[in-house]
This record gives sequence, C-alpha cells and structure tokens, in this order.
Amino acid sequence: METFLAILTVFTQPELLLLVGVGTFAGIYIGAIPGLSVTMAVSILISFTFSWDVYPAISLMVGIYMGGVYGGSRTAILLNIPGAPSAIATAMDGYPMAQRGEAGQAIGVTTVMSFFGGLIGILVLALAAPFVSEFALSFQPRDYMLLAVLGILLVGSLSSGSMIKGIFAGSLGIAIGAVGRDPLTFTERFTFDFQIMEGGISFIAVMIGMFGVSEALMQLQNVNMKAVRQKIDKIVPSFGTVKKFLPLSLQTSTIGVVIGALPGTGGDIAALMAYDHAKRVTKNPKTPFGEGAMEGLVAPETANNAAVGGAFIPMMTLGIPGDAVTAIMIGALFIHGLNPGPMLMIDQPNMFWFIVGALFTANIFMLIFGLTGIKIFTKIVEMPRAIIIPLILLLSIVGAYAVNNSITDVYWMLGFGVFGYFMRHYGYPLGPVILGVILSRLLDDNWRRAIISEREDLGRFFEGVFTSPLSLVLFVAVILIFVSQTPLWTAMKKRLFRKTPS
Amino acid sequence: MDPDFRGDIDHHDGTSDATPGGYVEKRRPGELAFALFLTAASLFLLYSAYGISGFEALSAPGAIPMATTLVMAISAFIVVLRTAGLPKVTTETLAKDILPGTVIVFIGFLILFGLLLQPLGFVLTAGLFLIVAIKVLAKRGWGYTLAVALGSLVLIWIVFRVVFTVLLPSGVLPEAEFIQFFRNLIAAGAS
Repeated sequence: METFLAILTVFTQPELLLLVGVGTFAGIYIGAIPGLSVTMAVSILISFTFSWDVYPAISLMVGIYMGGVYGGSRTAILLNIPGAPSAIATAMDGYPMAQRGEAGQAIGVTTVMSFFGGLIGILVLALAAPFVSEFALSFQPRDYMLLAVLGILLVGSLSSGSMIKGIFAGSLGIAIGAVGRDPLTFTERFTFDFQIMEGGISFIAVMIGMFGVSEALMQLQNVNMKAVRQKIDKIVPSFGTVKKFLPLSLQTSTIGVVIGALPGTGGDIAALMAYDHAKRVTKNPKTPFGEGAMEGLVAPETANNAAVGGAFIPMMTLGIPGDAVTAIMIGALFIHGLNPGPMLMIDQPNMFWFIVGALFTANIFMLIFGLTGIKIFTKIVEMPRAIIIPLILLLSIVGAYAVNNSITDVYWMLGFGVFGYFMRHYGYPLGPVILGVILSRLLDDNWRRAIISEREDLGRFFEGVFTSPLSLVLFVAVILIFVSQTPLWTAMKKRLFRKTPS
Repeated sequence: MDPDFRGDIDHHDGTSDATPGGYVEKRRPGELAFALFLTAASLFLLYSAYGISGFEALSAPGAIPMATTLVMAISAFIVVLRTAGLPKVTTETLAKDILPGTVIVFIGFLILFGLLLQPLGFVLTAGLFLIVAIKVLAKRGWGYTLAVALGSLVLIWIVFRVVFTVLLPSGVLPEAEFIQFFRNLIAAGAS
C-alpha cells in the first residue's frame, strides 16, 4: 500500500506532475533537435537544479530522459538526421518511409512503439529492482569492483568502434575521478602541488565539457545544413498495425531492457542491436530493410525506450549507472546527499517507487505529446544552428560556473570540451569517461576494502573470487570480453567455423 | 546496410557510444599525433601516480591510480601502433575537417568568456558573446543579430535568476539593485 502511494506521489503533487510534463515536452524537443542530446541537457541541468529538492529535480530529469530518447526519432524520420544517438537505427528505415510520403504513419508507429517499449522497461524495473537490491546486499566489495570494470569494458566491446579506445576512455575517467585528496588517507593524488587541484575535478565540469561544449564545437562544422520538409498526414496507427508488430516488439523490448540494465550500455547500443535482431528474425518483410520496412522502425524504437527503465536497475540497486544519462543522475543524487545503491533501496524505498511513478508518467506524457502537435515540432526543428550553438555554449559556461561559483570549473569544462572534441573526431567513445569518473570512487574504495580484508594477499583475493559463484561469473565475463577482442579469439572462431561445415 | 557507415554527416558525429565517430579502417588527419599525445600524457600520469605511494602496498592510495594510468599508457600505445598501420583518409585535411577556423575562433571566444566573466559580470559578457557568435555564424544583418542575441539573453537571464535562482557574477552592472527595485515595486503594489 505504501509502495502504491509512493508511485502515486507524482500525481498527488501538481508541481511534480507539471515538472514531469514540462520535462517530457522539453525532452522531445531536445531529442528532436540535432546537436542537442539528452546527455547534454541532463548534465547542464544538474548544475541548475542543485538548489532544488530531490523530487522536483529528478522529475524534470526523468521527463527529459524519457522524452529525449523518443524525440530523436522525429528528425531521423523526417530529415535522415538522428536527433539523438539512440535514433541512429531509426533513420535507416524511417527516412525511406518519409520519402514515400508515409512520414505520418512512421511517426505514429514510432510513438506507439516507444510507449510500449518504455512501459515494458518500467515494468521490468519495478519487478526486478527490489529482488536485485536484496541480492545486492550479499555482494562483496570485490564484486562491486568487478562490476565497475565490467561496465566500462562493455561499452567499448558492444559499440562499433575500437574496444581499446573504449578501455582508454574508461581508465582516463577513473584517473580523472582520482584527482585530489584521497578520501581514506588524505594523500594528494595527481595534484601536481597545485592547491586548486586538491579538491579534485568537479565531475559536472567534466560532463558539461564532454557532452555540451564538445558537441557544440562539433556542430559548428555543419552550421549551414538545410532541413528538408516532409508532408505529414495520418498519424495515429490502426490497431491492426500495432497488433501485427506485437511479437517483434516484445522481443526487441526485452533486448532493450537487458542492454539497458547491463552497466554502461544504453539506448543507442540497444537500438542498433535490436535492429540487427529484427533483420535476422523477419524472414519476409513487406518492404526490404533499409528501404522503409516497418520492422526497422519498431525494433530500435521499442528497444531504446525499454532501455530507459533497464538503465535504472543497476543505478538504483547497485549504484552503478546503466548508461551515460543514469551516470549523470547518480551525480545528481550525490549532490543531493543521496548515495544510490542497495542501502538507498532499503532506507528510502519511496525514492525508488517515486522514480518508477515518474517514469510511468513521463511515458504517458510522451504518448500524448507524440501523437498531438506534430506539425509544431517540425517547425521547431528548423531553428537555425547559428543560434542554437552559441546558446548551448553559453548554457555550458553558466552551468559549469553555477555549481561551485568557481571560474576554475569553467576552465576545466573548456579543457575537457576541447579534449572531448578531438576524442569524438578520432573515434574514442565518451560514455566510458563519464562512467569512469562516477565509478572511480566506488572502484577505489571497494578494491582497497577487498584487498585489506584479504590481508594484502593477492592469492587469497583470487581464492575468494574463485570460490564465490557471483565473483567467478563476473570475473569470467571480464576475461571473456578481453579475449573476444584479441587475435586469439578470431583465430579460435576461425578454427571452430572451419570444423562445423566439414 | 552497414550501421557503421551511413554517409558523412552522422558518421563523423561521434555523439553516440554505439558509433563513436572516426573511421575504423582508416586514419584521419592528426589521429596519429593525438594517439602519441595520449601515450605521452599517460606515461607522465603513470610517473605521477608512482609518486603517490610507490609500490608500498596493494591497498595504498596510489594503487588504483597506478593501475589505471598503466592501462591508459598500454592502450594508448596499442592505439598508436594500430593507427600507424592504417592508410590515411585522402579526402580530408586537418584544417578543413578536424580543426577548421570557426572551431578555433570559438574556442578563443570561450576562453575570452571565461576571462571576462568575473570582471565584467554575466550580463555584459554573455551579451557580447551572443552578439559576436551569432553575427559570425548566421552572417545576417546587425538588426537580426542584435534582436536574437538580446532577446535570448533576456530570456536566459530571467530563467536563471528567477526560476533556477542561480548566482552569477554581477560585475560592473548594478544587477542586485535592479532586482531589488522590481521587488520593491511589486511589494509596493501588493500592500
């Protein structure tokens, strides 16, 4: 009963309901405008909402997250430009549909399917998280450490870029997180005797730099890109269409939740994997994939919204972010004095149920806003980049300054912005950096706790790993990911495949 | 269709962790230099991490920093080796595709913004920045530039000062007095 009331908190306080609504609305726009991403918006928002209470701040962010993941599909369909990373796969079949004059139908199906995927993600979150958190109580420090390593490795291995660059990005993040005085022994780390460095580098400055400034600088190169208008009619899809894709959408939602729940990997990776899955299981699509197959819309859109709920599972139960946005939200909870993890679920279960309720509400808002007012959306997307880019840069500076009222943070932010700009150009993923910064403390603390409890003996440490089933599974997973990227693995696969046909 | 290659625009973008930009099989201009820089920086950080507590104990404050910087140095070095072996992208140049003039100019603007923020105050610095930036990017007349820049400045100022109550450096403008003046007006009207 109390749980139920906590879920309904959003509805009992009109202010929160309004914030979720405003957030979702803004999220759809932010998602729809190429060059503005949810990660960027949420990282800038942290600094502006830190004087607020926790609930309103979270309401706004949850709305933006849910709306933004969906909003990216708009421009993917209409302009062939994914407005958000999670909509990359949507463009492959959405744009051909729009070219055939079926933009309205494509948007309609996308909206309903996003809602469906989102709903499944939230349901799984609500059902699974309490069990996971109970299970998490039995986690040893070494398990946390292994999970953190696993999360950082997963992003690199599941993305299409090079894993070794992902590993570099992740370790860089951990190193950034270690700057300043060590919380246990008060030893200075990476401070180079500058007093300014003793407090560490503000993770918000790193986030805003990496996701705000670097993205804006990147967009400077296509300032003059012109939008192409598409005609939009018939939006609400028929019940028959929805029913036809129900089996597929259930499968792709599952993919979405699982990928979302894996530490580190979020909606963008889920959407691409779901797209691949749909291509494999759909034997006779009405139109071929890549030329406007409806399946190619359903799969990524269900998966990326399902991944939202999934991403909250490790965040709320273990304090390990499911993707970049939840990494930033963990930062937001830190600022509000909360420490996400199994203890938060036990001490303040209402917090968790409130987030579930807010996600659910945002999902409904998304459906409503998505099916109405499409015409206005197309206008907003045409807002010239010549204005958007300076505004993003301005917001980034204000955001970095506002947290500590310190000009040093602004310079850190600029530095990481320029650095992130080069990382983007040369194919280094940025997600692992943020993950590393957020997980640095957890990794460090748990490693030291684990090794001290084994009396500084590596042999005993590994004995512990090999005798606990959970640690063993995590350890094997980490090793497997490593091996899968080495030439050894390809050689093994070759040998195996050569054997099977003969 | 290969999800890794969807034409130039979003392939270069790098906004997503799923498709982190760059080319897998080719070397972009400056990519090798960047990888070399990362290796050098990682080695320097490794040296610095060794200085924290050396090989004192596995649980020492320097243990994780040393491990991570070692991983950084090794992975950066592998990237150098791999990148060096890749063929160059022939269609791109450093000045055109990686670091065009506008980007350098904007980085300069941002540094100036940081320098002027405290002495001049938020309103003046932000106003100047918006006017110059929009003028440079939009290439439209002064009327358009001023209207858009000042319009958005007013909007942002109201949102931050009133909705988010963020403290921004006031600098040379009597901002606090201005707000107080309006508060007094409202208070006078209410009573």
